[in-house]
Amino acid sequence: MLNMARHDHAQGKRGPSQKPVGRPGQQNVQAQQKSFWDLNVAVIAQRDDDGERLMRELQRLRCNVRHIWPMPPQIPVQFDLVFCALTEDLPQRIPWIPGEPEAALVVIDCGEGELDLQLIHNCAAHGVMHYPATPRSTQTCVALARGHFLYEKRLRGRIDKLDENLRTMRSVERAKSLLIRMKDVTEEEAYNYLRRQAMERRVTIGAVANAIIDSHELLS
Amino acid sequence: MTRSSNTSEPWRVGVLFSRSGFMAVIEETQLRGTLTAIDEINDKGGINGRPVEPIVYDPGSDSRSYGLYAKKLMVEDGVSTIFGCYTSSSRKAVLPVVERLDGLLWYPTLYEGFEFSSNVIYTGATPNQNSVQLCRTLMELYGTRFYFVGSDYIYPRESNRIMRELIRHSGGSVVGESYVRLGAERSAFTPVMRDIKQVRPDVIFSTVVGEATTFLYQAYADMGLDPKVTPIASLTTSEAEVRAMGFDVGEGHLTAAPYFQGVGNDSNTTFVNRYKKRYGDDEPTNMCLEASYFQVNVFAKTLEKTNSMETNLMRDSVMGSEFDAPQGGVSINPVWGHADLWTRIGRANRQGQFDIVYESPSSVKADPYLLGYGRCLEYS
Repeated sequence: MLNMARHDHAQGKRGPSQKPVGRPGQQNVQAQQKSFWDLNVAVIAQRDDDGERLMRELQRLRCNVRHIWPMPPQIPVQFDLVFCALTEDLPQRIPWIPGEPEAALVVIDCGEGELDLQLIHNCAAHGVMHYPATPRSTQTCVALARGHFLYEKRLRGRIDKLDENLRTMRSVERAKSLLIRMKDVTEEEAYNYLRRQAMERRVTIGAVANAIIDSHELLS
Repeated sequence: MTRSSNTSEPWRVGVLFSRSGFMAVIEETQLRGTLTAIDEINDKGGINGRPVEPIVYDPGSDSRSYGLYAKKLMVEDGVSTIFGCYTSSSRKAVLPVVERLDGLLWYPTLYEGFEFSSNVIYTGATPNQNSVQLCRTLMELYGTRFYFVGSDYIYPRESNRIMRELIRHSGGSVVGESYVRLGAERSAFTPVMRDIKQVRPDVIFSTVVGEATTFLYQAYADMGLDPKVTPIASLTTSEAEVRAMGFDVGEGHLTAAPYFQGVGNDSNTTFVNRYKKRYGDDEPTNMCLEASYFQVNVFAKTLEKTNSMETNLMRDSVMGSEFDAPQGGVSINPVWGHADLWTRIGRANRQGQFDIVYESPSSVKADPYLLGYGRCLEYS
């Protein structure tokens, strides 16, 4: 994101990227950071120097930060974003089903012991934080984790919507064939009839189609 | 999760069927089908020299538990393949887990269709493999006025929607509809039966599942209705349910399924004999048990080739594969990851078995979104 700001700047007459980021870029960064404001963030980690630094960085980003330690048996669900120390039993402490997360999750790898990629996979995390928390690493973690979480949610929403549309399309098809038979009209006319009814009644075309199918059932 | 090196370590797989709660009658048989197949494979020396080790949990007929146990299997037990689920609600609980953690669920139960996931292999029937022909046969034999009775959850609502379409397109009508709670008691069916007696339909189409199936058929018998005139037709009432309700109560009612114990072929005779030897002479087989059994065999054949349980390898390899199942030759349809299965309609007799009144000439391709049946379900 910082790169993009720089790129915008480079579009100006002053030539390529050597120039430091000037005011317009700074403003851009600030605007981008606005999406972090008032984000409810939980930090579930020891309050040592590293933990303190992470809390401080998040507070500087204007997040609502809450510190939780020792690690609760169940990760609380009321936050937008959770930073949580990576432990062997973290997957069991996550209350949601993988694939249906209730918050964006960033696991904190303290950098000791062997790296367990399977464990990170099992947490279905949205990001990994490596100590020490710098302004840059904290911001990227927050932005990416939040971005992935929301994207996942949109995709799930899209699938639900597609499923619904599929059902609607079947209803419209059936209503259309009923109209063609009953009113002796062409397919196009039948479809336009459905659309006009939907517009006049301010309901969806699916609702009109279902009403026609249902009433046909009642009448026949 | 993925061990493909030279080792005798077992292949670990997850198994999720309820042995307790209101779904236990049928899911217990699915568990048996799964374990029977696994034992047979292990008796023959396992897969590429390694035995299959099932890790079994009992979700107790609670949908949410299916999701939690699926997570436990994948996260704690390190399993990537799960055999399990009967109800659609339990499948939908497992779906996000296998999708996010990239596992493979083998689902051996008929369901309402309209689903596709890269992380599921569906080996039970979809509506085009049972409902379409059932609707046709019922209209031919009994009449065009249908009454729907179902358990109140996804599968009955959705399959009734499809059945309604079929009936209407074929010039029939739905004259009544009742739903009872999933896990309903006996008393819930008294008002339903009174309503049916009053409406006098030609056929009762039931999507009641689990223990309540017994109550429905018994309430029907107690009401003095005659299955020769107004039978109950179902997609889920198998030999297991008929045994639970009593052979006299089940006699004369119809079920559409890919498999009945009475299917005549060598593969089935061997299957039935082995099953009886293990579980007792009066233990019948049924469609869900059979699907549970053959899907483990399809899995084994696939694993033999991949020698790895990695989901993408397994999935790529299983597509298009064929197996000589007790119901006849079946294959995994590569377009949908659903099995191409046989269509059969059976009428229950006094021995708790089904006499087959219709059988498809060959296996029927799975069409979970009913694409081939867009408009013309014309009664032919």
